[in-house]
Amino acid sequence: MECRETRQMIQDHIDGHLPPRVSEKLREHLGGCDPCASEEAELIRVGDLLRLWSAVRVEEREPQLSALWTRVGAVIEERRKPWLVPLLRRWFWVPAAAVVAVLTLLFYPLDGSRAPFHPKSFDVTVESLESDAATVALVDKGEDLPRVIWIIENGNT
Amino acid sequence: MSANDKVHQPDEDLVRNALDGDEGAFRDLLERYKRRAYGVALGIVGDPDEAQDVVQDAFVKAYYKLSDFRFGANFYTWFYRLLVNQAIDRWRKTSRSPTISFDEAWVSGETSEPEAMVYPKTPEELAGNRELAEGLTRAIAALPEYHRTVILLREVEGMAYEEIAGILDCSVGTVMSRLHYARAKLKEALKGFREG
Repeated sequence: MECRETRQMIQDHIDGHLPPRVSEKLREHLGGCDPCASEEAELIRVGDLLRLWSAVRVEEREPQLSALWTRVGAVIEERRKPWLVPLLRRWFWVPAAAVVAVLTLLFYPLDGSRAPFHPKSFDVTVESLESDAATVALVDKGEDLPRVIWIIENGNT
Repeated sequence: MSANDKVHQPDEDLVRNALDGDEGAFRDLLERYKRRAYGVALGIVGDPDEAQDVVQDAFVKAYYKLSDFRFGANFYTWFYRLLVNQAIDRWRKTSRSPTISFDEAWVSGETSEPEAMVYPKTPEELAGNRELAEGLTRAIAALPEYHRTVILLREVEGMAYEEIAGILDCSVGTVMSRLHYARAKLKEALKGFREG
C-alpha cells in the first residue's frame, strides 16, 4: 500500500468504515511509515481534543443546564393556559365597542320617537314647565359642580 | 420505578409514556440528552447563552412534535435533527460575520510554537490550558456551519455517517467529504500544540 492510497483511507480507518482486510493492510503500512502514522495520530488527536473541549464547555454550563427543565416546563405550561384569555385580552375592544354602541342606541334612538335625553331618567330637578311641548330642566349636583340647564322642545334638545 | 430503572429505560418507552401524558417521562428524556445537546449546539452557534436557548427551544419543539416521532427510529437522531436545524437557523440569524478566519500566522507556523504546550488528556487539563481551549473554540468557529456540525456529530456524539446524513438530510458522501475537510482544517489549526 502506498502513502497516497493510505492517506485517503485514514479517515475511514479512524471511523471504522474499512473492511477488516483493508484495515489490516493499512495498519501494516502505518507501522512502517512515520509520515502516515503521524497523519493518523494528528487526526485522532483532533477527535480527542474535540471531545475534551465539549466536556469542558458543558461542565462550565452545568449550573444553568441543571435548571433547564424548569425553563422548558415553564414554556410548556405557559402555552397550556386557556386560549380564551389571551384572545379576550387581544380582542377586548370588540365587546367594549359593542357596549358603547348599545348605550348610544339607548340614548339616541334612530327612529326619533323620543328625545335623546329624557330628564326623568336622571336625578334632576324640573324647574318649570312652560308648555306641553317644552321642558326645562335644571341639573344641580352640588355647589362645586356647574349647573346644567336642558331645554327640550318638540322632542329636540 | 427506581432511579436505576429509569436510567435504563429505553427512549422509546419514555416517548410512549410522554405521549400518554406522563410529563415526567419527557423530563427524563431532557435530562438524558441536555448536556450532549448543549455540546452540539454550542459547537454550532458558538455562544453559550445562544446555545442554551437553542437547546431549550429544541426541547419545547420536541415536546409538541413528539407525536411525529416514528417508533423504531432512534429518538436522539430525531431530536438532533430538530436541534441542529434550530442551531443552524439561530447561528445564521445572529452571526455578525459569516466566517471567522483562522489565525493564519498561527496556522502557518509563522508564530513560534508555544514551548510549554502540553497535549491534554483530560477535560481538567484542557480547562487549565486556556490558550489551547481558546484556540479550539476559534478553530471550530472558523469552520463553515455544516462542516462543524458534521465533525461534532461524528467526533463528539460518535454518530455513524448514515445517522449524520439523516439529520442533515444529505448523502453519506457529502458527510464524508465535509468530515474530511473539517478534520484537515482543525488538524492544521492545532499544529502549534505539541503532545507532551
